[in-house]
Amino acid sequence: MMAKIYLDPERCIGCRACELACEREHGHPRISVGTVSDLAAVPLYCHQCDVAPCVAICYTGSLRQDGDMVKFDSDLCTLCGLCLVACPFGAIELDSKIQRCDLCGSGTPVCVMTCPAEALVLEDLDTVTRSTRGRAAGLLAARLR
Amino acid sequence: MISRIPTVCPYCAVGCGFYLTRSGMEYMQDHPVNEGSLCPKGNAALDVLNHVERLRYPMMRVGGDWIRVSWGEALDRIAEEMDRALRERGPKSIAFLGSAKCTNEENYLFQKLARLMGTNSIDNSARRCHSPTIIALRRILGTPAMTNPITDLALSDCILVFGSNLAENHPVVARWILRAKDRGAAVIVADPRVTPTAWLADLHLQLNPGTDIALINGMINVILREGLESRSFIKDRTKGFEELDVSDYTPERVSSITGLSAGDIVRAARLYARARASAIVYCMGITQHSCGTDNVTACANLALVCGQIGRPGSGILPLRGQNNVQGACDMGALADFYPGWRSVDDPMAIDELRRLWNAGTLPLGRGLTADMMPDADLRFLHVMGEDIVNSDPTVSRRREKLRRGFMVVQDIFMTDTAKLADLVLPAAAWAEKEGTFTSTERRVQWISRAREPPGEARPDLWILAEVAARLGFELPSDPEEALAEINQAVPAYRGISRSNAGARGGIIWPCPHPDHPGTPVLHTERFSTPEGRARITPVHHTPLERGSPEHPMILLTGRVVLHYNSGSMTMRSEGLVKRDPESHVDVHPEDAEQLGVADGDAVVVETEWGRARARARVTPRQKRGTLFMPFHFPETNMIASELLDRKSLMPELKVAACRIWRGE
Repeated sequence: MMAKIYLDPERCIGCRACELACEREHGHPRISVGTVSDLAAVPLYCHQCDVAPCVAICYTGSLRQDGDMVKFDSDLCTLCGLCLVACPFGAIELDSKIQRCDLCGSGTPVCVMTCPAEALVLEDLDTVTRSTRGRAAGLLAARLR
Repeated sequence: MISRIPTVCPYCAVGCGFYLTRSGMEYMQDHPVNEGSLCPKGNAALDVLNHVERLRYPMMRVGGDWIRVSWGEALDRIAEEMDRALRERGPKSIAFLGSAKCTNEENYLFQKLARLMGTNSIDNSARRCHSPTIIALRRILGTPAMTNPITDLALSDCILVFGSNLAENHPVVARWILRAKDRGAAVIVADPRVTPTAWLADLHLQLNPGTDIALINGMINVILREGLESRSFIKDRTKGFEELDVSDYTPERVSSITGLSAGDIVRAARLYARARASAIVYCMGITQHSCGTDNVTACANLALVCGQIGRPGSGILPLRGQNNVQGACDMGALADFYPGWRSVDDPMAIDELRRLWNAGTLPLGRGLTADMMPDADLRFLHVMGEDIVNSDPTVSRRREKLRRGFMVVQDIFMTDTAKLADLVLPAAAWAEKEGTFTSTERRVQWISRAREPPGEARPDLWILAEVAARLGFELPSDPEEALAEINQAVPAYRGISRSNAGARGGIIWPCPHPDHPGTPVLHTERFSTPEGRARITPVHHTPLERGSPEHPMILLTGRVVLHYNSGSMTMRSEGLVKRDPESHVDVHPEDAEQLGVADGDAVVVETEWGRARARARVTPRQKRGTLFMPFHFPETNMIASELLDRKSLMPELKVAACRIWRGE
């Protein structure tokens, strides 16, 4: 299973370091932090959906499913904007070209590396759920102590 | 050819490492504090370095214009003017402001120059962040600094955060608090506002502004009543406990003062006292009060009564603001302390420095702080890397009075303070010079030169050495030579060198000799007071009574995550400014309705000190009856309070009686 970016919304402190890092790296931020002012902050970004609405709606094949990831070919893109509307997270933007997360090519994406709160991680789903279970068990055990 | 050069972030005092590459930056994943992560300001740090508005040449004011002058002319003029002021008016007529943004070496030499010229009027912006910490922790614990490193917080079982919005102001600290939470630690946040830091809390104590002492004494009251204090620690490690009478601070009475429920006060006390390792983290919500020194004292009393200090995960952690604010203070760039925390009132301690510096006499007694400078009859003022006009309310309002004498400002930008000067000198920024910075956790890190300064900009150390030479003093212009002298002058830095401070993560003082590994946790066996014991010191709540019929609300000030202090750096960073472009004032929805203010309205906020315009932001995060304005915008500074904490000369920046109305 391929590693993707996962979010733990309980950890996010809403600092927007991910936005600044992404913008520095790509010229345009492909992640944005939505803050619900008295409650929490939630970074919104491409989840590389397995059944991706953006791929389904793209009539040129510019967006296509490639294994576990959604790939984008700008040569085929007509800038019609349908994918912007289709994405349930609003994670695609149009700025003279389509702006969406490509996981920074290879290695760890900058948003994950820069996150002070470790709210964003690059993991495969099994590892994420395992560590969530581990943390939940730890917290329950701490309450017993 | 080295492709990347390690550096330390120029913003806050967390001391995060990253690499500078030829065209950009890379994350440093093996740095002990930030592990590669950076906050938004750190991510935008290069915007400052490469900015088109960087000062490039020395400039002299002639009439209403600035003309470019040579370094030789500029430096000769400084020496002439300083000399003239001294001859005509004596040392009381000259003053210096060092910088919590400059290196230890620069601050050390700057204060040395001031003192060789016969004045203790040398200060830095620490006055406005942690001067109460300096006074209180030095007296009570012996060392005015964080007792444990930041990463230690991951080992704490209870973390009590007082008056700190660290999730915005020191975001990397939140990383270690979250690690503690992963282990099941309880986090308590005391703050009148619902901040992103309060989101981390298991228990948020939304207390009334200025009631911290009542809350802490109330917690001690519960602890003593329930026998949760550490008898052995009190007996073996402290003195003064018998004078601590908090019997009046019952949860019920404290509830009526703080606005918290008695149950929450009891719960906080039990969580803190019962945990195996508890830490107190505090910031300017504690210090920026007219009772700031007493607030810090109360925090220390709580830790001492419970024996929650001197162990991993257990201690007192004042979060400091600027990348080198701890260092600037260690170096004695303070009106009340010489290097190594030698009091200006202690001739014996100062005599050691007199011999080291080969000086005839050195000045005694407290000098002027920035707040006092506008009203002092100064003939010469030398400011190194501080924008006092946008960070000090007294100076903001009476800036013209600074111009009575000759004023020199060395900085990287034409700040509002530099605009007042007669002579402006272009300084090298952090990545264009070498030397050491000391982070909030006493971590001393050597930074390397990664870039060339723009135009004719020069390192501050070079400028100071050139000025001193013209006055007949020989000061080192090489940072390593200056550090060697600091080894002699500051006992905690005795063993610090380019080699150990230049290693990954540097070294944490005290480091008494070159082979010493540093001292992450202080006070493990004895306190650094002369008697080796901590001094429990009773303090009491006095009602603030700042409100009046004309000004019924309380204005709170603080910071936001995307800006930094006076804004001279972040306001020049496009990525930060576009996300947070203008001054705002937070208002509670019920207050807003009553006042007829809607979200986004232009409003005027008035205190007894002045009026400011801002955009209203209606949010339930704000406590009823209070407003909040970030102080990065000059407007806030113009209306902040001038009242001082008499013990530390800290202005009461956190509270001011105010009113608000809709209008331009």
